[in-house]
Formats: sequence, C-alpha cells, structure tokens
Amino acid sequence: MSSITLTDVTKSYGSVQVIQKFSSVFKDREFVTLLGPSGCGKTTMLRMIAGFEKPTTGEIKIDDTTVSSGGKFIPPNRRGIGMVFQSYAVWPHMNVFENVAYPLKIQRVPRAEIKQRVADILEAVHLSQYIERMPNELSGGQQQRVALGRALVCSPRVLLLDEPLSNLDAKLRESMRFEIKDVQKRFGITVVYVTHDQTEAMAMSDRVIVFNKGAVQQMDSPMNIYRSPANQFVADFVGKINFIHGVASGGRIEFPGGQGMAYSGEKRGPVVVAVRPENMTMRTDKGILRGTLSQAYYLGDTNDCRVDMDGIALRVIAAGHTYGQIDVGSPLWLDFDEYLVFDDDGVDQTKILS
Amino acid sequence: MKGAGSVPVQASLQDNKGFHLDVKAMLIAAIVAFLLVFNVFPMAYLVFRSFFGENGFTLETFKRIYTYPLNWNALRNTLVTAGLSMVFGVMIAFPLAWLVGRTDMYGRKFFRTLFVMTYMVPPYVGAMAWLRLLNPRVGTLNVFLANLFGLSGNPFNIYSIGGLVWVLTTFYYPYAFITISRAMEKMDPSLEEASKISGASPLKTVMTVTFPIMLPSIVAAGLLVFVSAASCYGIPSIIGAPGQIDTVTTRIIDYVYVGSAEGLTDATTLAVSLMIIANLVLYVSTFICGKKQYITVSGKSTRPNIVELGKWRLPVTLMVSAFALIVVVIPFATVAMTSFTTNLGKPLTAANFTTRYWRILFTRKGILDTVKNSLISASVAATAGIVISCVMAWLLTRTRAKGRHIPDFLITVGSGTPSVVIALALIMTMSGRFGINIYNTLTIMIVAYMVKYLLMGMRTVVSAMSQIHPSLEEAALISGAEWQRGFRDVTLPLIAPSVVAGWFLIFMPSFYELTMSTLLYSTDTKTIGYELFTYQTYHSQQTASAIATGILGMVVIVNWILNRLTRGEFSI
Amino acid sequence: MKKLVVVLAAVLVLSCVCMAGAADKPKVTIYTSMYEDIIEAMTEVLHEKFPDYDVEFFYGGTGTLQAKIAAERDTKKLGCDMLMVADPSYALELKELGLLHPYVTPAAKNLALEYDPEGYWYPVRNLNMILAYNPEKFKKEDLPQSFKDFAYSEAMKGFISMSNPLTSGTALVAVSALKDKYGYEYFDKLAANRVMVESGSVALTKLETGECKMVMILEESVLKKREEEGSALEVIYPTDGVICVPSPIMTVKDGWSAHSNSKICEELTDWFLSPEGQGYIVKGWMHSVLKEPPAIPYDSINTAEIVKSAMPVSWENCLKERSDLRTNFEERVKNKM
Repeated sequence: MSSITLTDVTKSYGSVQVIQKFSSVFKDREFVTLLGPSGCGKTTMLRMIAGFEKPTTGEIKIDDTTVSSGGKFIPPNRRGIGMVFQSYAVWPHMNVFENVAYPLKIQRVPRAEIKQRVADILEAVHLSQYIERMPNELSGGQQQRVALGRALVCSPRVLLLDEPLSNLDAKLRESMRFEIKDVQKRFGITVVYVTHDQTEAMAMSDRVIVFNKGAVQQMDSPMNIYRSPANQFVADFVGKINFIHGVASGGRIEFPGGQGMAYSGEKRGPVVVAVRPENMTMRTDKGILRGTLSQAYYLGDTNDCRVDMDGIALRVIAAGHTYGQIDVGSPLWLDFDEYLVFDDDGVDQTKILS
Repeated sequence: MKGAGSVPVQASLQDNKGFHLDVKAMLIAAIVAFLLVFNVFPMAYLVFRSFFGENGFTLETFKRIYTYPLNWNALRNTLVTAGLSMVFGVMIAFPLAWLVGRTDMYGRKFFRTLFVMTYMVPPYVGAMAWLRLLNPRVGTLNVFLANLFGLSGNPFNIYSIGGLVWVLTTFYYPYAFITISRAMEKMDPSLEEASKISGASPLKTVMTVTFPIMLPSIVAAGLLVFVSAASCYGIPSIIGAPGQIDTVTTRIIDYVYVGSAEGLTDATTLAVSLMIIANLVLYVSTFICGKKQYITVSGKSTRPNIVELGKWRLPVTLMVSAFALIVVVIPFATVAMTSFTTNLGKPLTAANFTTRYWRILFTRKGILDTVKNSLISASVAATAGIVISCVMAWLLTRTRAKGRHIPDFLITVGSGTPSVVIALALIMTMSGRFGINIYNTLTIMIVAYMVKYLLMGMRTVVSAMSQIHPSLEEAALISGAEWQRGFRDVTLPLIAPSVVAGWFLIFMPSFYELTMSTLLYSTDTKTIGYELFTYQTYHSQQTASAIATGILGMVVIVNWILNRLTRGEFSI
Repeated sequence: MKKLVVVLAAVLVLSCVCMAGAADKPKVTIYTSMYEDIIEAMTEVLHEKFPDYDVEFFYGGTGTLQAKIAAERDTKKLGCDMLMVADPSYALELKELGLLHPYVTPAAKNLALEYDPEGYWYPVRNLNMILAYNPEKFKKEDLPQSFKDFAYSEAMKGFISMSNPLTSGTALVAVSALKDKYGYEYFDKLAANRVMVESGSVALTKLETGECKMVMILEESVLKKREEEGSALEVIYPTDGVICVPSPIMTVKDGWSAHSNSKICEELTDWFLSPEGQGYIVKGWMHSVLKEPPAIPYDSINTAEIVKSAMPVSWENCLKERSDLRTNFEERVKNKM
C-alpha cells in the first residue's frame, strides 16, 4: 500500500543540473533499482526520496502524502522511511540492540515491545546471537545487517538502500542479495535500491531505471533492459556487448574490412551493430562473418574467446565444452541471430562519462 | 567521495525551512557580532589611535617609535626568536606526532599525555627552570655538563637569543604537536599503505606521502607557534631581561609601565607592528595553503595503521624518553624542587628543606583569591568558547550557510593577534569610551581569553565533527529523530571527548594567562598567572615555584580523574 | 559520558560557590608596592583596628601601578582610594594633576622627612637603596663599598645586577640620584660592567647561587631574606651614601576614588603615621619616617644614621627628567649589549 510518485523532479546545484526532469511511479511492493555509473545522479535521486535533498523543481509523493513540492517539505524523520546507507552508518557508540532499537525509542514504544520487536528483526536478519556486541566487534556483513535491521524495525512503508552491498566481498554480496529480496517479500515493502552493479540490479529488481549524466536512459524490466536496450549506453552498461561499426544501405550493412551482412531494418547510413558475446556462435562450416580465433580461456562453465575480425576484436562466450574444438589461430565463421542496430552518430556512447 | 557529496545534505535540508535558515544566519550573526565588538573594532581602534594622537592625525609617534634603534632591535629579536622557535618547534613536533600517533613506539599514550601536558603549564614556569639550569655562571645543568666533559667553561648561556629560542621552542612546540597530531589522526591510512605497497620504506613514505599531505596542518602549526612565541611576554621578560634582549612584547610592556598617557600611545604604536606581522604571516599561510586542503577524511572508522619500527623500536623510544627527560621532566622537577628549597644557593638537603612556601600557597588569601578569579574567568571563557566552537563546527562541517567562513576567519585572526595587542585594544575601547565599560571586571578577562584561545577549541571540535560521517546523523533522522535529538543521541556522544579536550585547550592557557592579565587585571580581578609572575619577579621564587607546581599537580590530577571516569576514553 | 557532565558541572558549581562572599562595609582600597607578607599582616591589624571598615590592599610593582593609574585616568575613575607607592616625585605629579585629597594630619609634626605642607602627601615608609653581597661566596673586602665602585670597578664586570628604572620606581630614583652625582657617565660605566637589569627576587637568587657578586637592591628585601630564610646575604651601606626613597601615602580625591571614603582615608593616614602604624612598617623591614622611630628593622642600622649620610635626591629633577632618565638608561645601558 505504499507507492512513490515522482513528478517532473529535477535537481541542480547552482548552475549545474545533476538530475534532469524525471517522472515515475514506484508501485506498492515494487522493487525498483536505480542503476548507473558513479556520479550519474542515482544517489541524489534516492536522497531526494529520503528527504536529505530537496528537489529543485517537481513533486514527490509517498502514497497520497506530498512529501516534497514547491512550498511543502516533510523532513526525513517524518517520512516513515527505512534506509540503509552505503557506509552502514551503524552508530559506533551503541551496541547492536541499541542501534536497532533506536527508531522505536524515538517513537516511544514501550520497553517490552521494543525488546520483542528488536528480537524479531534480529532473528530475521540472522543477528540474534550478536545482540550485545559493539559495532567494531562485527564484520562488515554483520554491520550491514544491523543497518538493515534498524531500517526495518519500524515496519517502514518504503525501504531505501544506497549501494548497501558495495563494501562486502563477492560471496557475501550474493547471499545478501537473496536475503534482501527475501525480506522485501516477507515484509511486503516497496524498495528503492541504488547500485552500480548490473548483476545486483538484474537479480533483484522488478524494474530497473538506468541513469547516466543525470538523465534516465531506460526504465523497464530487467529482461527488456538486457534484451532491448534503448541505446548504446544501456546496452554496454548492462551486460557485455560487442559493437561493430558499419554502414547500412540497400538491405546490407557493410563493415570497413570488406565484409558485410544482410540487414532488413530501416536504418540507413553509419550504424553500430551490437551483439552480445553469448549470442555469437563459432563455427567452422558457415556463418555471417569470417574471423580468426585469437584467444580462448577455459572458465569451466564457459569458453571465453576473442575473435579477430579484420582487425576488430570481438568477444565470444561459448559453452565450456567447446574449448579446444577450434585451435587458436585458426579461421572460423561467426554466426548470430539476436543483434541490435543503433545509429552511429560518431559519439562513442560506450564511454562512461558523467 | 560519498562523504564529500553528503556535506550539502543538511544544508539543503534546512534551507527548506525558513526557520532553520534564520537560526543559522542568527548564529553566524551573533558570533560575528561578538567578534566585531570585541575583536575587530578594538584592533581597528588601536591602529587608529597610533595615527591620531590628542591633536589629530600625526605620524610623529610612528616616527619616534620606529626610528628608535632599541625598538628595531626588539623587532629583529622578535622575528628571529619567533621564526626559529617556529622552525624548531615544527621540526620537533612533526616526528613526535608521527611517532606517537602512527608507530608502535613504547609508551605512546604516556608520551602523548606528557607532551600535551606541557601545553597545560605556564610557559614562564619553564623560563624560571631554565634560568636555574642553564645560567652561564652556576647553572646546574651547565656545571654538570662542564664537569662531565671536562670543559673549561660552562657550555650554555641562557641569557642569549639561543637561550630564548630554546625556552620558547620547548614550551610552544606542544601547540604544533597538538595541531599536527590531530591531522595525523584524520589522514586516511590507505594513502600511506599505497606508498608502502609501491615499495617505499617507512621513512621514505613519511617524507614523500605523509609530510606533503600534512603540509597545510604543519604550516598552520608553525604559524601558531610563531604567533605564540612572538606575542609571549613571560619568557622574554625572564630570560631576555638579564641579557638585555628586548622583544617587541617586552618593549610594549615597558612603554605601558612608563605610566603616562604618552606611554600608552607609544605602546599601541609599537603594538601595531606586531599585529601587522602576525596578520601578514596568517594571510600568507592561508593564501598558500588555504586551497590545498587535501586531508582525506575517511568515512569508515578505520584506525590509522601502525608502522612497526622493528629494530628501531627501542632506540627510538629511548631517544624520545631522553627528549622528554630534558624538555619536560628536568625543568618541571627543578621547579618542584625549588618550591621546597630555603636557600637556593645550597643543595636541597634536609636542613635546606622547607614546606613554608606550600603553606603560603594554601593559606595566603591573595593567592587563593587569584586562583578563584582564574578558575571563574577561565571556566566561563572555556565554556562559552566551546559552545561557540560546537556551533562553528556544525556550521562549517554540516551546512553550506552563507558567510559561515567569516566567523571562522575572524576567530583565526583573533588567535593570531598577539596577546599584548588584544589587551591594549580592549583597555582602550572597553573602558566606557564607546558605551561599553567592562574594564576592571572579570568580563574583560573572559572576552580577552576567548578572543585569544577560541581557535584551539574550535579546531578540535571541528576536526572531531568532520570525522563523523554525515550518514551517522542521517541514519538518526531517517530513524525518526528530530535533528536536535539526533545531535544529542549520535553526534554529541561521538564528539564528547573532543569537546572536553577542546574545553581544556581553552581553559588551561586562560587559567594561567599572563600577558593580557598583566594589563587587564584590577583590584578584584587579579589572576593566578599574574600572581605567579609577581611572585617570581618581586617576592619569592620559591613561592612562585610552589604555585607553578600546584598548577601542574592540578592538571595531572584532573587528567587522571577524567581518564578514570571515562575509562580511558578521555585524557588530556 | 554522563559522569563527565557531572564532573564539569561540579567544577562550575564550585567556582560559583567561591564567588559568594564579601560584606557591605564601607570600603577602602589601597594600591601599594609593599610586600604581600606585610600586606597580609597589616590587613589583619587594620581589620581589628577599624572593624567597621573593609580595608583592602592591592599589590603591584610601582611601574605596574603607575600604568594602571594612567589607564584608569582615561576612564575618569581610579580603582583605589589611597596610594602607598613610588616616591615623592610621583606624589608631585599626581598633585599637579589634581587627583589628590588634601588632609593636614596632626602627625605631621613628628615626621623626620620632607612632606607636603598642604597635606597632599606624607612619607610613610623609608626605603633604602643599598648594595648586597653573599659572604658565603665572596669576601666583603674584595667587593666595592660604594655605588661608584659598583659601576666603575672592572672586577665587577658581568657580576652585577640592578632593577629596571623603566618599571621600578625606586630604581628610577636611584639612577636619578646617581646621575646627579656622577653624571650620565655612570650609566655608561654600568653598561661597560655589563649590569644585568632584572627584578629584585631574581637578583637575590643570583646572589645566593653565586651568579652575581653584587646587586643594587632595596635593603628591605635583603633583611626579609635574612630574617625569614636565615639567609647569609649581607647589606653594604655604600660609602657614597644610601639612596633613601621616602615612599608617600596619598589619598585620592572623592569623585576620582573608587569608593569616595576620604574621611576614612584620613583616619587611616593618621594611623599609618602613628608610632603603632610605623611599627608595622618596621616589621616589614622598612625604616620608619618618624623623628623618633619606634624601632629599627631586623638586622639593620640606625635610621637616623642612614638618613644623615644619604645621597641627596632632587624630587624635582626626578619628575622633570623622568623620561630623559629612562631614555638615557635605555640607550646607554640596555641598547649597549
């Protein structure tokens, strides 16, 4: 029953606009991820929802309450939001119990009830045995869960997470992803999640909003973001991809090296053909493009290869068992069925500039 | 980067509420008003007075004062002694701060307390001790060294520029030590680690990474030592007088003691030069280093890494011990022994031992009254000062309020202004001529102490505050706490040790302050610093030593109590 | 954390408690350069003698007090009601400035020394500038016996000390008298002998430790050390005459004074000049100003004898040439080093 409505929100610091006009509705129980490189404005967006920043223009509503618009502003402490910070922000002078109990104390919840609710939450985040510990006696992952517990203890309408996993090691990060997702389902809350890690975004979200340079690039389900990226930036930022520059005309795309491929789309002139490495197959008999296998790495589940196509290095990811079937240095055919064609405006969209 | 990005947060948060904007503006206005009335205006008037005598504008006084060779000598002496003290002070303080803060040297905590303790003791007490130790004829240490090395004469003469520099350095390096230590604590350890991983030796790392990064703090520390040494009166008046070495401060006080209106004008005219020098140094250092604030503050509470000294651990500890012995223990012990000695010409034997000076200390009404006065004025100055410091820390680290750097700047200027100048300026402007008459009251003392010592307190609190990641406070907000509540529950407990430390950094120098008190005291407001100085120079060195030892003892006891109560969390 | 607050609060409360006190009796504040020990003794006596008044002394060196008065003159109100400081030349100056309250005391007829016939000031204690040495370190016969030799004897080079005439009233009187007798050459000789210019207590310590052979100093400070500390330091009464400085007692005019209690000040003047009051002066190792002194200070010689052979001092010159003397001293002595 908690939605967040953003209408024409912008943010500027002086003359620098860091968020361009943004509107969207985050639905109840939806898991929305703000994805983008660092400095793209995603954290600023989150902090505006939290109330740490005020939008320069526009309106933010949580459910039917306007929390921020021209004249009206509700400070963060009255928004009933839970938030987990990138640096955890676990108070070093309070133990685990005191940290988690703090929001309840502020609300003057009776002692006995505080005890019970903190215990429940610590159970949920698997910290029950650490209740008396001080933060400096906890590992990073445990501190992170303290922060999560503290954010959840008041049963907030909305949970905001600001790169909560970026300080954890890979293994822990993966298990925490599931825990957070699990908690969201169990508590039935709306989550806004900020990350620069596309895997996290893919794994957890109902909807991903890709930001770059303060502007929304694409807003869609993880699958659509991956399979139908709106532009080169999204295509490159989410997942791995090969870009081959060429010129489209008369049902074909011609590449600089002299090769070409059939093309039935509408684009004409300079274009970029984008193919994901796992969508390419290496064959010895036939295919669309010719090349030479220049490198191959056996990674167990995959065979990670580089193919030289007239001086352009293309990455191909094949199944692990294909390793060794083609010798490095041998000529081969590349075949693919799923690819995208973008207009080539001469600007290198893949450079992450912000 | 996140941390830096978060700074504007609360600013923008509070900008949204007109009420808070007003609070900030009002706070800034209040602090600025205080500084304008008690700092800027008096100084400006002082300059004005030196040009405008009784009969309108004149350069006569200026000409007279600045063509007098004795004054030029004094000016030169001041620049030389303060300059050298600054150089040596920093040269001592930097390695000490590094050893105490960043290495596994034995007894780091003990040494830290010992060095900071020196700050808590009146500098002229040191002058008294060194006078006895290193006077050229019968100085105890001099004679000892001469015998030890079979020298024909005594090696040192304390009544010289060198002697003056020595005593100034040994008593003002703690200012640099405190400033540099604080910055060391703030430095991100990974910067040093990066250098080590690149193959640099610990020493190389210090020279190529730590030192350059610390440069702004080192310059600030040096400036503090320079100004303190240049505006010091006690040490040059005790060490310099017998050797006929005048400094600008002793000249100014001489002029004041001429006891006529003309003398006062002469004093102010000479004071202007000291003020200009101090402000010039201040300006240049801010100009050079102001933009280079590249101290990296880490958001996470990582402890600075500890450099293992390895085979150097013991030798280095021994060297530091030797330094502490010479600079701290021997002079303090000398003073303590003096307080029990009847005849200073003879060794301290049972026959020559007396406790009468201690009895005087605890029974004489005059002394007890001054202790009371100093306690009151110093605690009020420290308390008011620390409140301003906390507000400034909040304004500087958590807001982007317009004009928040104005009070910061004025506070720095105030502390950079020589004590004599502050006192003279306050006398002239605060004795009723301009509607405010606080002369002859404790208030004028309090004001003077605040103007002079606010900086140390403010820097301490600001530094502590900047180490608290804003997200800790934001977490309180998002937990539903009003910002006041969050400040109480989160920020205050975290900065409390620094607040107490800052309180003491204002309290102690105010408590034993001499230079300003010499000019500002009145019948009812004599302070212990001044009393100590009069005993030293006019009545009895032994009583003076007893007072000094008493102050030192008080500092040790208070430190011990605080340490106990806070379970080691806080010590001076 | 909580405990810390408690401790700080306790400190504050304590200091506030200390602030309380002081009854509402008519008050008289006296600026004086007498030793604190003497002040303490006198405060007690005055408390008994004048139980209805609150008499308070405020100690300061002569220079300090003069500077203070100069600054206070600017505010049109002094911090005191009476002065027992400096020398007659300063009394002349304050009289000129119209700051003093005239009172003709019946005790005047008993005075052995010059006083103001209009009653603006009376001498109240006789201070003697003498030479002192330490018999435990040096022999008397090896040392100068006169002020002249003190400055002129080359054997003394680097071993002598005196107070600063810029800050000490008695030292200024002394250099004035010596200038009148020997000319400014005397200053040059002091400089050539590398005289150390420093305060009395430091100088005495240097005598004790042997750092100095001889110092020009007030008799009282040596006598005090002898009586109180059993010190061996001895006085040499210079053959060219002791320099006597009769320090005056003055009352500040009502309106200018701190409490405008001039009637009480008159009573106090009478007492200070009475044999009883003078007895306390003598106990403070200073000489009485009466024709018939109640006693002589501990270990000293007859007051009349000292006064008889004293070096003449011109108070007019002292006042007129004050800044000349200071400048000359600065340039000839201090600037020489």
